[in-house]
Amino acid sequence: MITITIDGKKISFERPVTILDAARAAGIHIPTLCHHDILKPYGGCRLCLVEVEKVPKLQTACSQYVSDGMVVRTETEKVVDARRAVLEFLLINHPLDCPHCDKAGECELQDLAAKYGPAMGRFAEGKRRYPENLEDPLIVRNRERCILCLRCVRMCDDVQGASALSVTGRGSKSYIEPFSGGAYDCEYCGNCLAVCPVGAITSRTHRHGFRPWLMEKEVETVCSYCGVGCSLVLQVRNNSVVRSVPRSGLGLNRGLLCSKGRFGYDCLNYGDRLDAPLMRRNGVLERVTWTEAINCIADRMKEIKRENGSDAIAGIVSGRCTNEDAYVFQKFFRGAIGTNNIDSVAGMAYGPAQRFFEKILVQGVTANPIQGISDSDGIFVIGGDPTAINPVLGLQVRSASKKGVPVIVVGHPGGLKRYSKRAFIMNSAAETVFLAALVDEIKRRRPLPGERPVLEEIINGFRPAPLEDASKMSGFGPNDLVDTAHALSNMSRPSIIIGRDIVQTDTGHMNLLFLAALTYLLNGRIYLLSELPNEQGVLDMGCQPDMLPSGRPLTVETFRKRCEETLGIIIPPAPGLSYAEMTEAAHEGRIKALYVMGEDMVLGLPDSNYVRGALRNIEFLVVQDRFFTETAKYADVVLPALSWAEKEGSYTNLERRIQLTRKAVEGESIEEWKVISEISKTFGLHMGYRSAADIFSEIARVSQIYRELTLEGIADGKSVWPYRGGPLRYDMHTEGTKLPDIVSVMEESGMSGVHVRREAHLFHSQNASRYSPALLSITPEPHLKIGDILADRLSVKDGDRVKVSTDAGSIVLSARRDPCLPDNVVLASTFDGGGIFEITKWRVNPITKAPASDVNGVVIDKEEAITVLHKDRADSLVGG
Amino acid sequence: MALDNKILDEINELKRKYEDERSCLLPALYLFQREYGWLSPEALERVAEILNIPKATVKGVSTFYAMFSHKPMGRHLIQLCTNVACMIMGGERLLDILKGRYGLEPNLTTPDRRFSLVIMECIGACDTAPAMLVDTDLHGNLTEENIIGILERYE
Ligand code: SF4
Ligand code: SF4
Ligand code: SF4
Ligand code: FES
Repeated sequence: MITITIDGKKISFERPVTILDAARAAGIHIPTLCHHDILKPYGGCRLCLVEVEKVPKLQTACSQYVSDGMVVRTETEKVVDARRAVLEFLLINHPLDCPHCDKAGECELQDLAAKYGPAMGRFAEGKRRYPENLEDPLIVRNRERCILCLRCVRMCDDVQGASALSVTGRGSKSYIEPFSGGAYDCEYCGNCLAVCPVGAITSRTHRHGFRPWLMEKEVETVCSYCGVGCSLVLQVRNNSVVRSVPRSGLGLNRGLLCSKGRFGYDCLNYGDRLDAPLMRRNGVLERVTWTEAINCIADRMKEIKRENGSDAIAGIVSGRCTNEDAYVFQKFFRGAIGTNNIDSVAGMAYGPAQRFFEKILVQGVTANPIQGISDSDGIFVIGGDPTAINPVLGLQVRSASKKGVPVIVVGHPGGLKRYSKRAFIMNSAAETVFLAALVDEIKRRRPLPGERPVLEEIINGFRPAPLEDASKMSGFGPNDLVDTAHALSNMSRPSIIIGRDIVQTDTGHMNLLFLAALTYLLNGRIYLLSELPNEQGVLDMGCQPDMLPSGRPLTVETFRKRCEETLGIIIPPAPGLSYAEMTEAAHEGRIKALYVMGEDMVLGLPDSNYVRGALRNIEFLVVQDRFFTETAKYADVVLPALSWAEKEGSYTNLERRIQLTRKAVEGESIEEWKVISEISKTFGLHMGYRSAADIFSEIARVSQIYRELTLEGIADGKSVWPYRGGPLRYDMHTEGTKLPDIVSVMEESGMSGVHVRREAHLFHSQNASRYSPALLSITPEPHLKIGDILADRLSVKDGDRVKVSTDAGSIVLSARRDPCLPDNVVLASTFDGGGIFEITKWRVNPITKAPASDVNGVVIDKEEAITVLHKDRADSLVGG
Repeated sequence: MALDNKILDEINELKRKYEDERSCLLPALYLFQREYGWLSPEALERVAEILNIPKATVKGVSTFYAMFSHKPMGRHLIQLCTNVACMIMGGERLLDILKGRYGLEPNLTTPDRRFSLVIMECIGACDTAPAMLVDTDLHGNLTEENIIGILERYE
C-alpha cells in the first residue's frame, strides 16, 4: 500500500500511479498539456510541475510515479511561477491568431494561458512565421502554432502504429512533418489532429466553418462504415453534421477512429442525395409523389405475384440497414409477399462462415470482444487485412504485436507489414493447400482435445497434399510451412482473424473447414471481419432465405409455427434463394420483381456485367437508397432513403454487440421501415409501428437471441452476446460436410497464370465512400497493386496505366508497385466501380453459395494512352 | 535509384553487427551520403525499406543531424569556420574571396556543382585558424592568398 499526501489530503494506492493520477483521484486538478489519456506518460511540456517534499527540483506530475510517504504540493508559489514561465515560453513563438484559428474555443493552450499564463510576454524578438501547409487534401498543418508537445507523433507511432509523422530538424527549427513535408502518405485516421492541443493540425473538412461554441447539439451514435461499430459524437449545426469525433471514454474504440469514421461523414451532406421518389415512365425516371410510388410498387408486385407466384419476387437488404429496417423488410416479404427470397450481402461470406463455425464448433463462437485481441498470445490473419477492413480492430493486432505477440498473415499483410512475423501471399487454390498442410502439421504437434468427435473425425480423415507439393504450390519452402505450424502450435489462446476473401473463392468451403480445425486445435477465438456496420444484425433479423427472425431455421415446423403465431403471419415452409441464387434466377428470368434496399449490386457483386445483365432482365426493380446508385439506373421505382444519422435504430457489430444509432439531423425522406409498412398495408398486412423502439420490442418478442431486450436498454452499448443468457437449443448437424480431397484441388485448380485478388481498401467501403468527397480525395480511383518482378517484366512504373483483362472483361487501372507481392498475384481494389469486380467471372461456390471475388489467368498489359475512368459517372449521379 | 550492390553489402554487414535494425540507421544514412553526396527523399525511402523502419522516422532522424545533407551537394563540400577564433583571424573575409572567385555563398552550390559551402561553428582547428574542411581534408592557416590555390586542387 502506498500512501501519499497531496495538498494536505492523504490518499492510498494499491499500485504505483503517476502523481497526476493520484491528484485526480484526490479531486485535485493539475494542468497538463503534453499529457493525453490515450498516450503514454511523456513529460515534455513541463506544465504539470509540482513540488515534492525532499526533492529539490519541481517534478512533472504526469510522468513521475508516487512512492510511499510522498508529500506533494500542487499550488505553491514556486509551482505557479514555473507554470507561468512555461506558458510564457510557449507563447514566445505561438501566434496570437485565435480569431481565425479553427481550434479557438477548444484550444488547450488558450484555456491554460487564460487561466495560468502571464498577462504579457517579455520576449522582444519577432515570432517565427511560416505559411500554413495546404498541400494535403484533408489535413492542414500550421507550424507556427505547434508547441512540440509531440502528442501527434506519439499517437501516430504508439497508438495508431502508422508512424507517418516525425519531428524533423532540431532546436527552434523543429517541425512536425509527414515524410513528404507536404501531403500525408498515411492512414488518415485523423487521430493526430484529434489529440493536437492547439490548432497546429486541423481538418480541412470543416475548415473555417466550425466554432465549437456555436454547435447546436451533439449526438452520440455509432459509425456506419464497418462492422466494428465505433462510437462517435456527431456535432450538428443548422441541421447538418459539421464534425464527427470520438470520445475517450465512449464505446469500444476508446477515443480512436479511422479515416472513414472521422472524415466519411460528409457523404451525409453529399449534394446529390435522393430526395423524392422516382418512377420510370416511357423509359425515363421521373419525380413522383410517395403515394404514386407506393401504389405503383403495390400494383406491380401484386400483379407479378398473381401471375408468376410469390417466389418470382425477391428482396435484398444491405449490411448498412438498421436492425429495424431489416426486420420489417423480411416480415413484409414473408408475411405480405409470401416468399423466403430474402438475403443480404452478409449472405455471401460473413453469414456462411459464421453459420459453418457455429455448426461445427459452438453457437456464438464468433462473438468475441475486440479488445481481447491484444491479450491473445498469437494472431493468425487470413482473407483480408484487418487494418483496412476493420481499422480500429486492426489496431488491436498492432498493439499485440508491439507486445511481442507473433502475428502470422496468409494473404497480403497490408497495414500489418511491420507488425507480422511472416506473411504468405499466394493464389487462392494454393492457400487451401497451404491451410490443409498447416492443419496436418499442427495435428501432429497438438493432441486432439476430444470434445467434438465429428470434427475430430474430419481432422483425422482428410488427406493433405504432400508437404513438398504444398510448398511448391504456395511458393514457400517446406521449412517455412513447418516453422509456421510450429509457431502456431505454441499458441494457447490465439485470435484467428478471418476476412471474406477466404470464403468467396472456389475452395471457400474447404478453407472454412480447415479454419475450424485450426481454431479447434489451437483453442482459438474467431473474429470475422465485417465490411459493413450491420452484417451481423441483418442475419439476426432473419434476412436469410432459410432462417427465421427468431434465429432459428424455418424448415423446422415447430419453430416456424411459433414464429407465425407470434407475428400473426404465414411463413412459407421452403427456404428461399440466396443473394447469388437470386442474381442467377434474375438472369434466367425466374425472378420478375426485385426490391433492393441500400445495396448497390452492380458494384457489390463480382462480375458486374453479369449483374447488369441480371438487373436488365428484371421486370420490376425497386431500389431504395440514399443515392442514385449504379443499380438504381436499372430501377423502375427509386425510393429515397434516410441515412443512419437521420433515424433511430440499432446495429449489431461483429462481436455481436447491439448498439443504438441515434438521429442527429432531419433527413429529406421517410424511414425505410415506414415506407415498407405502407406498402405492406396494401397487401393487407398492417404493421402499425410508431417508432424504431416499437419494432425492436417486437424483435425482442419473436427473437430467441434478442429476447427481452429493449432499444432503450441497449443504449449503453453494453449488450453483448449472449445477451440474456440461454443458448439456442436446436440440433446442429454437420451433414453435408464432405471431406475435402486436397490433391484434387491441386489437380483441378489449374492456377498457373496471374491471379487477381480483391484488395479491401482502407479509405473505402462499398457504396458509401464513393459519396464522400473527403474519402475520395485521398484515393480517388481504384488501382492495381503489382509486385516488383512482374512490374519489371512488363516495364510498369508507379502510376502507369495498365489494362487488366479476363474473359469477363477488362479494366484500366493505375499501377502501384508493391514489393510484398510475388509475381503470380496482383491485387485490385473494388471501390467505386472500375475495380476487380468488372473482370471477375461469375462463379458461385455450390456449398457456401458465395460468389468468388478472385479470378485467375488475367492478362496485364501496359496501356500507352491515358484512359479516363468513370466517364459516365458524373451523368449517372444526376440521374440518367 | 539504382542501388549498387556495394552499399547493400555494407548494409547487410551492418545488420549482422547490430542487434536490431534501428541501430543500423545512422551508419546506413552515412553510407548513402558517402555514395551520393546527399540524402535524397528516394535515398531515405530506400533506407527505410531496407531497414524496415517507417520512412517518416528515418527522415526525423536524418534531419536532426547537421552532418547529413538533404539537398544535392557539389562534388566537394567546403566547411568553413567563422566562429570566434576563425573570425578574429579573418575567416569571414575568406567568404568574399569564395564569392568573388566561384560565386559561392553559404548553403549554396556552384552552378557547375563543383563546390558546396557550409558555414561551421567551430571545426576544432582553432590553433590553425582560420580553417576549413574540404570533404574530409583539414586546411588551416588560410589566407586570402592561399585559399584559392588549395581549392583548385579539388576538381
Ligand atoms: S492521420 Fe493517423 S496515420 Fe496519418 S499522420 Fe495522423 S495519426 Fe498518423
Ligand atoms: S502538431 Fe500539435 S500535437 Fe503535434 S507537436 Fe505540435 S502542438 Fe503537439
Ligand atoms: S473502424 Fe469501422 S466503425 Fe470504427 S471508425 Fe472506422 S469504419 Fe467506423
Ligand atoms: S503534461 Fe506533464 S510534462 Fe506535459
